[in-house]
Amino acid sequence: MQSISRRDFGRLALATAVAGAGASAGVFPALAQVANPIRIGMSMSLSGGLAGNGRAALAAQQIWAADVNAKGGLLGRPVQLVFYDDQTNGGQVPGIYTKLLDVDKVDLVTSPYATAMIAPAMPVVMQHQMCFVTILGAGVNTTFKYDRHFNMNVVGDNMKDTFAKGFLDIADTLATKPRSIAILAVDNDFAQRAAESARFLARQRNIRVVYDRSYPPSTVDFTPTMRAVQAARPDLIYIASYPPDSNGILRAASELRISAQMFGGGMVGPQLAAFQAQLGPILNNLVNWDIFSIEPTMNYPGVAEFLTKYREVAAREQTDVLGNYIPPYAYAQMQVVEQSVARVGRIDQAALAADMHRSEFNTIVGPVKFAESGEWAQDRNLYCQFQGITDGNLERYKAPGAKVILYPPSLKSGTLRTPYGTPA
Amino acid sequence: MNTHLRFWLGAAALGLLLVAALRLLGNDYAYFAGYFVLQYVVLASAWNILGGYAGYVNFGAAGFMAAGAYSAIVLRQALGLDLIPGIIFAALVAGLLGLGTGYLTLRLKGVYFSIATLCLSVVLQTLVVNWDYVGGSRGAYIIRPREIAPFVSYGEYLFIVMLVLAIGAAGIGRTVEMSRLGRGLQAIRDNERAAEAVGVPTLRLKLIATTLCGALMGVAGAPLPYYSGYLNPEAAFSLAYAVNAIAMPLIGGAGTWAGPVIGAVLLASLQQAATVTISSALNLWIVGWMLVIFVALFPKGILGWFRRKA
Repeated sequence: MQSISRRDFGRLALATAVAGAGASAGVFPALAQVANPIRIGMSMSLSGGLAGNGRAALAAQQIWAADVNAKGGLLGRPVQLVFYDDQTNGGQVPGIYTKLLDVDKVDLVTSPYATAMIAPAMPVVMQHQMCFVTILGAGVNTTFKYDRHFNMNVVGDNMKDTFAKGFLDIADTLATKPRSIAILAVDNDFAQRAAESARFLARQRNIRVVYDRSYPPSTVDFTPTMRAVQAARPDLIYIASYPPDSNGILRAASELRISAQMFGGGMVGPQLAAFQAQLGPILNNLVNWDIFSIEPTMNYPGVAEFLTKYREVAAREQTDVLGNYIPPYAYAQMQVVEQSVARVGRIDQAALAADMHRSEFNTIVGPVKFAESGEWAQDRNLYCQFQGITDGNLERYKAPGAKVILYPPSLKSGTLRTPYGTPA
Repeated sequence: MNTHLRFWLGAAALGLLLVAALRLLGNDYAYFAGYFVLQYVVLASAWNILGGYAGYVNFGAAGFMAAGAYSAIVLRQALGLDLIPGIIFAALVAGLLGLGTGYLTLRLKGVYFSIATLCLSVVLQTLVVNWDYVGGSRGAYIIRPREIAPFVSYGEYLFIVMLVLAIGAAGIGRTVEMSRLGRGLQAIRDNERAAEAVGVPTLRLKLIATTLCGALMGVAGAPLPYYSGYLNPEAAFSLAYAVNAIAMPLIGGAGTWAGPVIGAVLLASLQQAATVTISSALNLWIVGWMLVIFVALFPKGILGWFRRKA
């Protein structure tokens, strides 16, 4: 296994940034020409609200670029990432992609992290008829219907029918069948879709929705909300939240000693190392949506090597130190581009799109096949349970057993422990 | 030739020159960068009418701008109408919003008025987040055409629309400054009680100013969903708009029609350059430092500094 030293990674990042920015600004056009690299452009949230995931994604993509270049490049040419910080501001994104395509003349484009940043890039990318591999968007192409858009996201193209299915399937295995559910969601795109799925599937299974509310993203005190959830006495509690509120909700639940047969849902946050360190035992027995877990059933070829490299650079780059959430998918996003370019043998956007529609990709997050819509042909929402968590020690998350997979059955690596609220 | 005519002819000539230069450059990015700068010219000129001339500091610029953006989305959803009717509708809605805000809040002064405008922005954002017709918290998508005749690209079309709006906003600012309205607003800024005592109709003038300010801010926001193709409440009510709307006139020179134009061109160009060269995380850092420096050393902005030197 070949690892990257801190110094090498620093040089690589610096070279990528300087050459990217330099060439883009027209300062070093000669430098860009000499090596004739394949230039891949992207906007990424390196500051602002999504910076945590954005920086982690970029670190993974830089590791991919280093890996490809170490193997001799793509089509015999080195790859070079050209990236700009969109500051988590969708208003910056169209300008950045126009610059990438019209001034920097990049050969390929990939997306920044998540829906709110992907959607503003779409009109520009469509205008230039570029093939666009995105990461963790939610239903962006439902409106645009662009046939060269491919999304690396486990939710597939029918979120309503599939997203909460795992949670409720697990609930069906409880000794006492659940009869009621409380649903709480933040007012944003992803969470509302997740809540809609939970609501829809719960009614299908005759589970009574005893609490169903949304809250604004600016909410900071969740004690009254969680008290109301507690008062409804649900068997299941399904929360769809974003990182700052996930923290507040879990702390409020802990302070109020809320207990339920199953507690969790589509919370974004508990997947990240910072949360795992801060919340420690509060996470114990939480059943939550996820996209990756370091369990034997997900030990796809290359993922362990990638995580070793990633963790070497993560602390210095001040990104998620474990990399168990976005980074493997960001690396896989670039693998899709890499494999398609290698198969097509040239940079031809139409041919690349046709290949992506047709082919299956072997990535570090497993085999990936895209449907006609550009979403994954087969959804793969994971529901994992934190087990045996007694403190905030992150070492436990580097080995299997701390976050076991309960759903889907094909990846199952443990059995459900109930109820939430009991110490490990 | 009278000065008004000279201004409008000069501005039109400058606009045409700019369009011709960008066409020669033949680069779509220049249109997007130009749009980014010009939207702030409109926003800063709008803020200046109430904040610069009358001395009423409006912290709710993002709210008015978002009102314009969502008005354009509503018109598109309801009647399928495009950008230009959307801009007119946005001006009407945001103008009425400005009038209503003025009527309710102009009894407040100083920091209390500013807090009220900030609250308005929060109220509007809450309304939009819970209004599914305009996308709610999920955001709204606008599928714009790839080209629109006779423009070379949609980017050029958006740029020219925003250029016309920017010239219009600067012209309105100039007309206000040179009219009885402007003089009345300046009297209110200097001493409202004294102005009222000598017969300045303070309430009426302030209501005209809030209406004009609101309408122009709405106009600045109307093309935003067409520019990005997608708009969600976080992007529409971004703090950056509120901060820049205040910083740009203060740096250029508040209380003059040219000040906001100079401030917006300078600051927005710097921010756009920072985005695509150095780390754009420095964007608001640049704004913050420039604001501190100008408030401390040049409280009357760039124009004030030049005038003092002259």
